[in-house]
Amino acid sequence: MRVHAPPASPAHPQLPSRRATLRAAGAGALALGATGGLTACRSAVSVAAGEGGARRGGSLTVGIHVDFTPALLFTQSDQALQQRLIYNTLIRYDEKLRPQPELARSWQYADDGRSITLKLRDDVTFHDGRAFTADDVIFAVENLRKPERSAQLASTARAVTGFQKRGEHELVLKLAHPVANLFDLFEFMIITDRHTLDDALKGRRLNGTGPFRFDRWRPGTGVRLSRNDRYWIPDRPYLDSVELRVYSHPDALLSALRSGQAQLSYGVSGKHLAPLKAAPNFRIKRYDTGSGAAYVGASVGTKPSDDKSFRQAVAWAVDRERVVQQALGGYGLPSAAPWPRSSPAHTEADRIHYTHDPGKARALLKSSGVSTRTRVPLGHPSQPLHTAIAEIVQYDLEQAGIRTELQPHDSATFQKKLISGTMPALWVNLHGFAQVHPATLAVSAYPFNEAKNTSGFRSKAYTDAVRAAWQQRDADGPAAHARYQRVSDQLLEEAFIIDLAIQDQVEVAAARLRGATLNKFSYLSLDHAYLA
Amino acid sequence: MTSTVSSAPAVRRGTAARHPYLAALTTTRARIGLVLVGAVVLAGLLAPLLSSHAPTAQSGRALVPPGTGGHLLGTDDLGRDLLSRLLYGIRTDLEVIALAVPIGALLGCAFALLAAVHPVLDTVVQRAFDLVLAFPGLILALAVTAILGPGRLPVIVVITLAEIPVFGRQLRAGILVQRERDYAVAARVGGTRRARLLIRHILPNCADPLVVQLAVSLTVAVFLEGAMSFLGVGVRPPEPTLGNSLSQALPYLSQAPYFAAGPLLIVTLLVLGLSLLSEALNRETRR
Amino acid sequence: MGRYLLKRIPSALVVLVIASVVVFGILRLVPGDAATALAGPDASEESVAAIRRQLGLDQALAVQYVHWIGDLLRGDLGPSYAVGGEVADLIGEGFGATVELTLGALLLTIAIGLALGVLGATSRRRSVRGVVQALTTGALAVPPFVTGVLLVLVLAVGFAVLPSGGRVGLFEAPDLELQYLLLPALCLALPSAAVVGRYLKDSLQQAFSEDYIRTATAAGVSRRRLLWRHALPNALPPVVTLIGMQTGQLLGGAVLVEAIFAWPGLGQLAETGLTARDYPVVQDLLLLLVTVFVLVQLLTDVVHAWLDPRIRWE
Repeated sequence: MRVHAPPASPAHPQLPSRRATLRAAGAGALALGATGGLTACRSAVSVAAGEGGARRGGSLTVGIHVDFTPALLFTQSDQALQQRLIYNTLIRYDEKLRPQPELARSWQYADDGRSITLKLRDDVTFHDGRAFTADDVIFAVENLRKPERSAQLASTARAVTGFQKRGEHELVLKLAHPVANLFDLFEFMIITDRHTLDDALKGRRLNGTGPFRFDRWRPGTGVRLSRNDRYWIPDRPYLDSVELRVYSHPDALLSALRSGQAQLSYGVSGKHLAPLKAAPNFRIKRYDTGSGAAYVGASVGTKPSDDKSFRQAVAWAVDRERVVQQALGGYGLPSAAPWPRSSPAHTEADRIHYTHDPGKARALLKSSGVSTRTRVPLGHPSQPLHTAIAEIVQYDLEQAGIRTELQPHDSATFQKKLISGTMPALWVNLHGFAQVHPATLAVSAYPFNEAKNTSGFRSKAYTDAVRAAWQQRDADGPAAHARYQRVSDQLLEEAFIIDLAIQDQVEVAAARLRGATLNKFSYLSLDHAYLA
Repeated sequence: MTSTVSSAPAVRRGTAARHPYLAALTTTRARIGLVLVGAVVLAGLLAPLLSSHAPTAQSGRALVPPGTGGHLLGTDDLGRDLLSRLLYGIRTDLEVIALAVPIGALLGCAFALLAAVHPVLDTVVQRAFDLVLAFPGLILALAVTAILGPGRLPVIVVITLAEIPVFGRQLRAGILVQRERDYAVAARVGGTRRARLLIRHILPNCADPLVVQLAVSLTVAVFLEGAMSFLGVGVRPPEPTLGNSLSQALPYLSQAPYFAAGPLLIVTLLVLGLSLLSEALNRETRR
Repeated sequence: MGRYLLKRIPSALVVLVIASVVVFGILRLVPGDAATALAGPDASEESVAAIRRQLGLDQALAVQYVHWIGDLLRGDLGPSYAVGGEVADLIGEGFGATVELTLGALLLTIAIGLALGVLGATSRRRSVRGVVQALTTGALAVPPFVTGVLLVLVLAVGFAVLPSGGRVGLFEAPDLELQYLLLPALCLALPSAAVVGRYLKDSLQQAFSEDYIRTATAAGVSRRRLLWRHALPNALPPVVTLIGMQTGQLLGGAVLVEAIFAWPGLGQLAETGLTARDYPVVQDLLLLLVTVFVLVQLLTDVVHAWLDPRIRWE
């Protein structure tokens, strides 16, 4: 017998008023909350869209996809936008990698390359009022040398053997040998306040000389900065305040930009830019910083990657064009060499040294005699971009006769394998440091390091080529280019790191934002930025 | 987790207990549910026959709309056929939940039976359940995956772990109530051994809410798999599942809605079907 | 009831101790540690070793465990290794955010669930019951991460009515905060509301079918009084337990919702901490969550026992 029989059944009590009250109460509560928020006071949407119609003033919200990590202040990490907002560096590279003055007004590199004299600005103060002197530069260099700082340019910092102060604003750096990438160090090294270092590493107080002062950091939410009224560039910055807001999920970041909550971001991947490309109130700019390049790494101590023909077969098998189109959304450069177009080591011949040629790959595979019956493990970080690249590589390798098995790892586990050199035979990842001086790649970036790298590759020829490129004074000119060519030749021949594509840095900005720029290490500069 | 109220009505003998289930399955509600679930399961089982492309075959044409070039539902961002990814995705999902949920249910019931033996064991088992339930499921999922490495195994482990306390608590509550019923008291007084009483008489009377719970847990399992894929842990690429297809598709929602439509529809139909089934079963076993 | 409470406390404490060991153990089982995460992508092993020494991660496991528990008992949650700052501050920030979100979702769950349950059980019209049924099943069938994305697409991007994500702070700007809170709380609450609604409906129907209701109706007691004085109180106990369990669900589901809506709560903190292998953050946080859960369980069991004397004497 059913409980809900004809209406006369007692199971259907007539409670119109109670029910109505219930409904009304519920609906009313919700409506009250909503309207109270929406109409009574301010609307969160219009507040967030940014005020400031004039050239001066205004507040900018930058969407970041990784939170600020104070412990990583001195390492090149995924999140470096705030470095040039709170701090300054000694020089600034222009489009052609020529150093321009920042905190260092001028410099004199000795002819033998064993010392450099820096003349520093004398009108700079830290946010707390203290004057900037040569001691701060000395501290910065010594700080970067410490292994705990894990600074990628530590080897360059270690080449500095002594300091000689000539007054408060002139400094001589003595070098163990000529160092070609010295200015990479100066572009990378932020000048922090030596008295508040511990507070800085904890995210409590960051004291610098930059255009914006550090107000506070709310973990998970972001960093708030406000204008430094005593900045050493007169009448700058234009903006009153900047907020770096965390949107860790790519959808959230995209929505924040589209709804106007954020007006600038460098964290949107190329694939997801389609909805913004057509939008009239957005500008998409590509930076050829080459701050990231996708590659396939090979562990030369593990079969079958110990065979050079096998490695070269892999290099011929991958369709680099497809990696750029499908994984990077078209925002990249297919390249067999790690150098972006702006690098002095870049040549077109090297870029297309390996192209998509499954036939050649198969021939090389056959000649290598490597068995294709077993699946080769292919490790990769489990983030969507790396997974997509790994899937493309897997498919292309299969067409050439190499069967692989994907082994995803979360980023910390992957990092551990990378550092300890316990990667499987093949892996996919992104590397940086090809965008500045070519020598920096092989003396800093771990996968390419000539002394010790993840692949476990060592050869006299490679070491000699790298040392020759690093330990000399001139960074440009035909002699230097010849040295870089030697390094490139080694990399391409040995194929222990097989570059696929150089990723563009993509800037998504609201149309009314002008003047935001990025340096070679992805430090955001808003010195001359304003909201129209 | 979700659970139903365990209040089985008075004495029912073994053979008569089947009738409410059969009766439930003949209602319209259950019929629709069966059709939906059946269709989805069939699609998964027949995946190799129904799809003309391999699910991992990448063509050069990414995100083509449905109907172009022999791709009935279009392609994904790496040029893979969406229809075959959908069908094989159903297959993978079914494999995972068909394994994890019953194992979780069995283990949960085993623990509940264990708890019924002695009050101390009861406390231990209850606190163990509390411990498992206390950990936010997805954090547990991240930790388990980090230990075991991504793949099917951590997904199965996480779903199983999630279901054990749910079924355990259900059964335990049911046992507690049944134990005080007249027939149970009478049987004890009459000299029936505890174990026999438990297994032959009490257990069948507790079965109804568990059956309903099974249907509900299957839907939870589908969501758990999807959530794990969304967070980047889960079944290994390039194998498709409904969850990772959905999470891959979400950034393209505005430019290529057909990418997400397939898995979304299937998940909804599957969950709808299972819900209708559990509803129907619930209604019949209440009377 | 005091005796009931007293009986439950020792076992709750045992749970906490075991939980601390489990949490500590699981984190050490996960490969990689804070030193690798902190060292950055291009570090040398020397850097990693130096950082490891600095953090004290090279000590014996038992020593690390004892240090951790010892500090905890003194009220010191320790510094965060990788995320930055003090763990107490991080958890404090996240706690406020998550409590806000969970409370908002809980309120919406109860309100919507109550409405759905009562309507579904008591409405005379088939169409109303049908709509309620459809809504309930719909809210249950669509995965929360999809509803979240859809809500954002429609309400934040499509019609820019509500913000797409983030948080301001309840005490800084309460009027704005409610707007930031609405979408994530709704997204989190919908599945739970549907579950509560359905079980309340079943429970109510069950209660209505009992003999005493029929007798009371025959005796002329009003329907309204029946619902509020008799049916609901009898229907509520299992639903209260359910709401207790849903709280755990809500906390767990918060991880997803916090990701979609960029809500800086404990879920985000746990995920970030785990990714960075920040042991102090994850350990302290998980232990805190277990403690809260155990307390909530205790509370709901006590309330349940108060409402239903049968359970008390077990």
